[in-house]
Amino acid sequence: MPACDNSDVLARKQHIKYFQRFLNLLPRRLSSYDSTRLTIAFFAISGLDILNALDVLDEKKKRLIIDWIYRLQVVPDGSEPSWKRCGFQGSSTLIFPPDETKCSPLYECGHLAMTYTGLASLVILGDDLSRVYRAAIIEGVKALQQEDGSFCATLAGSESDMRFLYCAACICYILNDWSGMNIEKTMDYIVRSMSYDYGIAQAPELESHGGTTFCAVATLALMNQLNTCFTNKQLDGLRRWGLARQISGFQGRPNKPVDTCYSFWLGAVLKILGVFEMIDYQQNKNFILSTQDSIVGGLSKWVDTTPDPLHTYMGLCGLSLMKIEGLLEVHPALNVSQRAHQHLYKLHKVWENN
Amino acid sequence: MAEADSSSEELYDETNWVLYKYRVDWKDVTPVPQDDGPYPIVAIVYSEKFQDIYDYFRAVLKSSEKSERALQLTKDALDLNPANYTVWQYRREILKHLNKDLIPELQYVKEMIEDNPKNYQVWHHRRIIVEWLQDPAYELSLTETILSQDSKNYHAWQHRQWIIRTFKLFQNELQYVNQLLDEDVRNNSAWNQRYFVINNTTGFKPDVVQQELMFTLDKIKTVSNNESAWNYLRGVLLHHDGGISQDQNVRQVCEELYSSGNRSPFLLAFLVDMCEENMERDDGDKEESLRRALQLCDVLANEYDTIRREYWNYMARSLAQRMDCPEREATGSTKTD
Repeated sequence: MPACDNSDVLARKQHIKYFQRFLNLLPRRLSSYDSTRLTIAFFAISGLDILNALDVLDEKKKRLIIDWIYRLQVVPDGSEPSWKRCGFQGSSTLIFPPDETKCSPLYECGHLAMTYTGLASLVILGDDLSRVYRAAIIEGVKALQQEDGSFCATLAGSESDMRFLYCAACICYILNDWSGMNIEKTMDYIVRSMSYDYGIAQAPELESHGGTTFCAVATLALMNQLNTCFTNKQLDGLRRWGLARQISGFQGRPNKPVDTCYSFWLGAVLKILGVFEMIDYQQNKNFILSTQDSIVGGLSKWVDTTPDPLHTYMGLCGLSLMKIEGLLEVHPALNVSQRAHQHLYKLHKVWENN
Repeated sequence: MAEADSSSEELYDETNWVLYKYRVDWKDVTPVPQDDGPYPIVAIVYSEKFQDIYDYFRAVLKSSEKSERALQLTKDALDLNPANYTVWQYRREILKHLNKDLIPELQYVKEMIEDNPKNYQVWHHRRIIVEWLQDPAYELSLTETILSQDSKNYHAWQHRQWIIRTFKLFQNELQYVNQLLDEDVRNNSAWNQRYFVINNTTGFKPDVVQQELMFTLDKIKTVSNNESAWNYLRGVLLHHDGGISQDQNVRQVCEELYSSGNRSPFLLAFLVDMCEENMERDDGDKEESLRRALQLCDVLANEYDTIRREYWNYMARSLAQRMDCPEREATGSTKTD
């Protein structure tokens, strides 16, 4: 081991402060986060959890956050068609005071990435999901699956691809109700998106990519369909493709630069596929830590660039996969801590007994 | 404000900007403030301009106003946050409602794409407008412009594949791919596009397979340490009856490279896989194939691909094991090849 200089050590305290700042207030230059504030909240909340520092939020603060998240839920209004719009919105930008909603209901609808990160944040904070309109949200998920098996993000107009397919799977998994998707179609889309190099793309025939490979593999893990979806040859090819992405940290595609977030996306893929122990821990760890700002906190995409919440969170999760001391272990498919996953498991038991 | 066509630089010039609440032509509208609840989380310190524009956007959404001025308002809202998908969706509804000429819209979204080339919403908007127009005339050149700045921009490739597939524009695509590979033979996106084109045109018929093998081997001979080319080679060989080990040309080039001292990990890995295939063939020299595979795995693990040391050691163990009891493979999966 080299001498213990600052960059070898995780700047835990600074990262905790970094997430706390993001939970509170963002400067105006980050206004483009406006429609996705809930995902930023998720990175901060789950990040604090992975740092084993959720207790910096006292009970009152946790309750306030939980209430804020529930305010973003689009709830059914009694008519069956309105269920299709259910889910969580990313911010209050387009929420109207209740009795005033004269605008077309079309504009108040959930977004799969927000519903997933909203539900996950509630679970992490210890909520029992009792205020979640579970059946309606599942209807909302169902309404977004396309003929080819992929998912749109929202009825308010969006592309459809592997990312939202993963979000849909997370929602079904969290709510323990898979009636929200046609599993056959979902698997078919994933198989057709595997490239000739055995990586998996955003859609059929596109270039394989670390992020979308994660979405596909994690979805199959959550559905418990990994071995029914792919042949042994395909799984071996996928393992090798994933391992080949390690350069020091990980790159997302062949011949692209390494980037902190892929230490999680590909690390999780390899963990799920049972070959994570074959990576070079030391080089991966060194790269991730080289992107941390140990003065103001946060991790960035590349060395000497500005940290952001996504790369900070994914970098920490990448470290957590290697069981770095002081970090909680991450559930590779659901991307929350194993502790939070345990809490979810208990909720499922309660629901089953009701 | 009169200058509806002013450039974005001017729009951002706060001194010239007139807030909507001071505009005479918006006097009839009551702005709707954001309701962020008693205790906002991840609160943003919005600028006065941001707040003002979105107050009026909420008002327009609430009254379902679909007018010229509302169209301009969506543009201002998108300038401040091009990721707001609802604003884009509402903009499309206004365009439809006013039966607007869509050619200027193409120009507008082109500018937005150039400013935000990695934003999902702008590309989605582009696609919908092209769908409405049923005219792909500008799309190849648009994606070429974006790819000339970042030849691996995923959004641009996705848009381009959609255009080519939908409007059957495969004709000159191989030429474009060749041009990109001449510029950068390591451009994995271009290699993928090559596969896409062949797969959707001639298909990988035997003569095309030969042609593609020659093309790829040629590139490998020039730059052998290039994963993209090796992956493509394997991709082409998926369509070869002899697997990866039986093509004369492929074998010859690989052996020549090896003999000349080339130790690219991609070459060595390919040779390992050739040995593995030979071990499974009835006419192959199993002992010799195994011996060579183990030797290659050893140098990969300890010399040429040390970051994947554990993997190559594992490969060596599993190859040796398979030789001992061949029926042990293909366990753990309900599917077979």
